[in-house]
Amino acid sequence: MTIASLMPLAPSTSASTSKPTPSVEVSTADGATVNLADYKGRIVLIDFWASWCPPCKTSFPALDVLYRQYRDRGVEVLAVDLDERRHDAETFLGAHPHSLTVLYDPKGVSPQAFGVKGMPSSFIVDRAGNIRFTHMGYSGDVAASYRQEINLLLSEH
Amino acid sequence: MPHRRPHTLILAGVLFAAAFGGGCATVQPWQRGRLADNCMVFDADGSQVAYMTHWQEAREASAGGFGVQSGGCGCK
Repeated sequence: MTIASLMPLAPSTSASTSKPTPSVEVSTADGATVNLADYKGRIVLIDFWASWCPPCKTSFPALDVLYRQYRDRGVEVLAVDLDERRHDAETFLGAHPHSLTVLYDPKGVSPQAFGVKGMPSSFIVDRAGNIRFTHMGYSGDVAASYRQEINLLLSEH
Repeated sequence: MPHRRPHTLILAGVLFAAAFGGGCATVQPWQRGRLADNCMVFDADGSQVAYMTHWQEAREASAGGFGVQSGGCGCK
């Protein structure tokens, strides 16, 4: 048994909830800071990923497709990179062209605040700023769940 | 002044070490980058393992020492 086999890869798990988005700051690519709770009024998918995480290699392009599909309807996808070394993330991003908003948290403060239990983890936030759906891990079914949940939130007024 | 038994002091030392000398730490999911590194995986490269095993069997005349997959005909 290897250490890698102990890591939570699959199957993915999901849950519905309703709690406020934690007020926690992360960095943008140019060094500015943004608060993940400052997106009220928009539907936001916050995804915690890292370049070393095997399922993230699958989920990242899928999130990019999702974002391209929904961005005109006011949906934002924030990909929060948790690599300790920025170079690792940039190498990954160089190999995966995307349109996502990538944010950086090398100290891991934001996943602590969100209660991340596995990689990748994603949180879908409604317009009121409440986390409505959570996902841990990634499989083909998760992308369908994302669409279903975002469509539900888009139908709410 | 009462005489303290040595094993009492040893027991106190063991309890102190157990309470304050723990070396375990919880590694959070997002802190596993180094653990997930390819160099941390035993036999990560299957092709290289197969090559090295074949080479070692030939050099050491130890064919079968790593297990055999044939039916005993010696024609592995």
